[in-house]
Amino acid sequence: MKQLCVVAALVCSTRVGAQPVDSNSVLIRNATVHPVTGPEIQNTSVLILDGRIAEIGPKLAPKASIRIVDARGLHLYPGLINAATNVGLSEIQALRDTVDLDELGLFNPELRAASAFNPSSEHIEVTRAAGITSVVSLPGSGSRRAGALLITGQGALMHLDGWTWEEMAVKPGAVMDLVFPEINTGPAQAGAPPRPYKDALQQYTDRLQELGEFFEQARRYQKAMAARAPDFRRDLRLEAMIPVLEGLQPIAIRAERERSIRDAVAFADEEKVKIIIVDPREIGGTGPLLKERHIPVILGRAFQLPMRDDDPYDAPYTLAAQFYRAGVKVCFGTFDVQFARNVGFEAAQAAAFGLPRDVALRALTINSAEILGVGDRLGSIEKGKLGDLILTDGDPLEARTNIKQMFIAGREVSLESRHTREYEKWMKRP
Amino acid sequence: MIRVRSGARRSPLAAAVTLLAACASLRAEVPSAIAIKDARVVTVSGEDLPKATVLLRGGLIQDVGAGLAIPQDAWVIEGAGLTVYPGFIDGLSHWGLAPVTNPAPEVHARGPEDRPQTYSFERAADRLDPRDRRLEAVRAAGFTAAATFPDRGIFEGLGAMISLGGAEVRDMVIAQPIGQQVTFRITRGPARSGYPASLMGNIAYVRQLYLDLDHYKQAKEMRQPGYDHALEGLADSPRVLLPAEQAQQIDRMLNFAPELKTPVVLYGLHEAYRRIETLKQTHVPLLVSLKWPEKPRDAGPNDTANYRLLLMREQAPAVPGMLAKAGLKFGFYSDGIDTASGLRQALKKALDAGLPRAAAIRALTLNVAEMYGMADRMGTIERGKMANLVATRGDIFEEKSAIEYVFVGGRKFEPAKEVHE
Amino acid sequence: MRRICVLALLLSAIVGNSAAEALLIRNATVLTVTKGTIPNGSVLVEDGKIAAVGENLSAPAGATIVDASGKYLMPGMIDCHSHTAIEGGVNEGTVSDSSMVNIEDVLDPMDINIYRALAGGLTVSNVLHGSANAIGGQTVVVKLRWGKTAQDMLFAGAKPGIKFALGENPKRQGYVPPSVLPPGRPAARRYPGTRMGVEDVIRESFMEAKNYREDWQAYRARVARGEHPLPPRKDLRLEPLVEVLEGKRYVHAHCYRSDEILMLLRVADEMGFKIRTLQHALEAYKVAREIAEHGASVSTFSDWWSYKIEAYDATPYNVAILTRKGVLVSVNSDSDELQRHLNLEAAKSMRYGGLSEAEALALVTINPAKQLAIDDKVGSIEAGKSADLALFDGHPLSNYSKALRVWIDGHEYFDRDKDLETRPDFERKKKALEDKDNGGPRLPTRR
Repeated sequence: MKQLCVVAALVCSTRVGAQPVDSNSVLIRNATVHPVTGPEIQNTSVLILDGRIAEIGPKLAPKASIRIVDARGLHLYPGLINAATNVGLSEIQALRDTVDLDELGLFNPELRAASAFNPSSEHIEVTRAAGITSVVSLPGSGSRRAGALLITGQGALMHLDGWTWEEMAVKPGAVMDLVFPEINTGPAQAGAPPRPYKDALQQYTDRLQELGEFFEQARRYQKAMAARAPDFRRDLRLEAMIPVLEGLQPIAIRAERERSIRDAVAFADEEKVKIIIVDPREIGGTGPLLKERHIPVILGRAFQLPMRDDDPYDAPYTLAAQFYRAGVKVCFGTFDVQFARNVGFEAAQAAAFGLPRDVALRALTINSAEILGVGDRLGSIEKGKLGDLILTDGDPLEARTNIKQMFIAGREVSLESRHTREYEKWMKRP
Repeated sequence: MIRVRSGARRSPLAAAVTLLAACASLRAEVPSAIAIKDARVVTVSGEDLPKATVLLRGGLIQDVGAGLAIPQDAWVIEGAGLTVYPGFIDGLSHWGLAPVTNPAPEVHARGPEDRPQTYSFERAADRLDPRDRRLEAVRAAGFTAAATFPDRGIFEGLGAMISLGGAEVRDMVIAQPIGQQVTFRITRGPARSGYPASLMGNIAYVRQLYLDLDHYKQAKEMRQPGYDHALEGLADSPRVLLPAEQAQQIDRMLNFAPELKTPVVLYGLHEAYRRIETLKQTHVPLLVSLKWPEKPRDAGPNDTANYRLLLMREQAPAVPGMLAKAGLKFGFYSDGIDTASGLRQALKKALDAGLPRAAAIRALTLNVAEMYGMADRMGTIERGKMANLVATRGDIFEEKSAIEYVFVGGRKFEPAKEVHE
Repeated sequence: MRRICVLALLLSAIVGNSAAEALLIRNATVLTVTKGTIPNGSVLVEDGKIAAVGENLSAPAGATIVDASGKYLMPGMIDCHSHTAIEGGVNEGTVSDSSMVNIEDVLDPMDINIYRALAGGLTVSNVLHGSANAIGGQTVVVKLRWGKTAQDMLFAGAKPGIKFALGENPKRQGYVPPSVLPPGRPAARRYPGTRMGVEDVIRESFMEAKNYREDWQAYRARVARGEHPLPPRKDLRLEPLVEVLEGKRYVHAHCYRSDEILMLLRVADEMGFKIRTLQHALEAYKVAREIAEHGASVSTFSDWWSYKIEAYDATPYNVAILTRKGVLVSVNSDSDELQRHLNLEAAKSMRYGGLSEAEALALVTINPAKQLAIDDKVGSIEAGKSADLALFDGHPLSNYSKALRVWIDGHEYFDRDKDLETRPDFERKKKALEDKDNGGPRLPTRR
């Protein structure tokens, strides 16, 4: 009896705290469950055992030593996924010392965001408080400083909970981050005249050529490595390209305009690599092309200004729906740190302007998981998947909704952050 | 000419006298009487005369009319097939300015007291160089005079009405000062330049300077000591020219003008098609830039301008026609177009877009003269005015028409025979 | 007679109602903000003003009727911190105190972002000078009357303002790192380089303003005695500061850290003027009491933080803390983009601090109206106020809602349906202009 009491006491006391005492099993009861891959289920329970979803059903019997969470009146969703951020790699944008993005050099495929991911970044707690359980952290900021970067490194899919980056890494080499060249006629510096089109086009073509040459170098390395030639010497940089060449690691190609998207797809065709188009600013006529090639898209922020003065005012808002209607698989990313937690609202805005609401939710969960190659583990509430879940009092894409509890791989995770601590402290000031 | 007996020893004094005499003969007086006989004459001051004679003497128009008696000493130019117009006047230019050598470095201004970018005292008349090749080029398009202003800073300085045919500086200046040009200088990028860097900074500075002028005048009246070079320049300005290309800038300058308590001329006006009604209410003199906005040569296929800019490119050449139709007085200025063909093409564009011929001529002649208070001396073909004329074979606005003669202060030029870039 | 009425109706329908005509918006959920919510409400507009609010209103003959069933009507939103529609530079940052410049001189009524903001339900903006200097330029309140001139955009009767800035931005030019300078150029530094210098600039400028005011008072006294002295030189920099001292011009101060907020309140007390609004004020929650005691109000971001070190202690609960501690708070944009969805920014305060629906809506309507002292005219749906209204297809605090129609002074400035309808025609017109620009239609090239 005493044992049971002790266990019960232990169980009851693990409700709050940043790192609950080693429990990654929990029974969540009486929630409205939104599996995403299936219709909503009222008044049902989900059992998580050793970090994975073991059972879903009404009236699941409680098991000994497994904590029970009474979720009456609440909604259970898969944890949201932000498919493109710089979380963990950038703390305060204005302070260079706190930012680890955009390493020097045109081609850096060997750089790994996972091992530079700061597990103590304040952004982790802040981002997950909005219901986001995992993010992709990219080693590039997307900045196009006069074409100074091409391949910035490998982006990692990270859980927003863990003692070290190692524990947090769900898929360390989720994508290869590539900033596709653009024809940029903007001025080189503020106040300078715009660059002539001829020059911009020349630079674009040169960059494309350099990219092609780099891929060729990588292929030659791949061949030499396979052949185990006696004079073969390892090269980390070229070796990092092999998963890409073998189609095992997709390249997240940042391509803004129609022309770059088309050229990126042509490039992928030629090099026979798997790509994702990320952060496009327009669709133009590329819809059918992307659909045909089964190339998915990670959309950037809906809350942006239209690219051109004459663009429809809602152009950035309707972009998601346009890709969706063209038959392209979409998911959402914010491509930043500061607003990574608002990815849900970005999706809602897309829904306000034409994306069906259920697709918006899919684009934050199962689509992201599938596009990132972890569809077997994340993105929906199904047996066998990881216990990445959120309990809310409503639709998590609504600002009015409160995120009540969160589980990552079955462990309950605190929703406190720097922000809530400031709130609590300063409300107490007399 | 003093003949020197060959072989005789020449004393230095004799040599000097010879030299002087030789110089004098190179400056031999060409008789100034010219008669252009029986040409079509567009007087601007009245009806066109289908067959009339224009008599020039001493740099002035002696007489104009049908069937005039030709003076005995007059050089006669057969006018059959020629059309004679008053010489064109460029309403705002920098022609004839010698570049500033060794300009003083700009002081990093910390406020309006430092008089940043202010050359209000600089006189175009003091910087003239008759050897400026652009004078010839512009003359070859039928221009005989130009309002020339210095070209540095926000308050650029005091303009002069110059003649485009003077051999010496003293022959070039017809009148000065004719006005003060203001150009807003906006610095983009990091504001490491001194005050002002923004448009609002420019406007606030102009406002302050005119307030200071007011105060300066009061101080002078009260015999307070003090001398402000910049304010003296402003005080000498009979009018101020303000930039007004886009619609909101036109509104802005019309709003601003009364504060300055001095006559104002607006220049630019490419988007005036949006403001015809507003301009009708105000009667401010207007100078329309001939440099019509066009697609830049090195633009790419994706670099489409936005709708507003595209519309401006289409509509700007129609502005002169609209102003004429609304009964508004305006002139033209070259805005840096320094080739005869460029100027003629620009004018043609305005005509093709609806500017009636007579209105075009007026805008190039009498309107500009009136704007600068010089209508008593130039701008029409009337007795007593300066002998500034242009004679063409055919209508002057047709590209094929040759400009046969240009008379500047009675001096004859034949542009077809000059070599131009 | 009836035929003429029909014709008039048709014409007015085509042209869109002018301010003088009546407008009846019917069957909406009317969110008045100050007087509760009317579930099946109507708003009658006459002569540009709200004539009546209630259920079952009838429209006078000739009125335009808008059937708003299933839709939500709220007051047009107000943004207390905007840099939209400014031409030729938002900052005159070359001097430590640029109070002589005036945003009113450089309003650009053709900035497309005005229209984009309207399309999100925004109707009024407090257009401000930037934050490059401790004392910036004079500021102005405008209505987003798209299509009118700059003069016509001015909010008649709104008190003019002036912008102050504290913290990192105004001291940035005080130290220019060698790496940033072009080689060979000496450091062109502009005072101040520290927060202490920022305080000094404000105190010194107001001391100068006081001396200037005394000079003018002495002059007028002498004139009153029948003397004819030379007046003091009119100084455009000091004039607005004198207006601040006399309560005729509002101070809107950009600030972040609690120490600088407190500093400014104390300097204002010392100099004898009031701070009207603290802008951004991301650490205002730490000095809520002092702000309330001074009588200042706060206009802040919904959830911006971490982009610079002075924003590192920011919390989205700022709005809730201040509200609970009796400070008047509004949520602003400081952004061409954010101003398009201020309603969604306001909604965030329901999650971060549990503000009620009414409190959240107030953040972008009646609260900023009070801050700008225009709450007698705008900020809520009440009879007598200007008909500045925004119609949404869902509750404005829902992330799934969007604005459908926006009126200012009873005149419609945005209609989403019309916007969608006119797009093909616009494209056609633009294509025609492009072809002309290119000297003929282009063959389809690889775009």
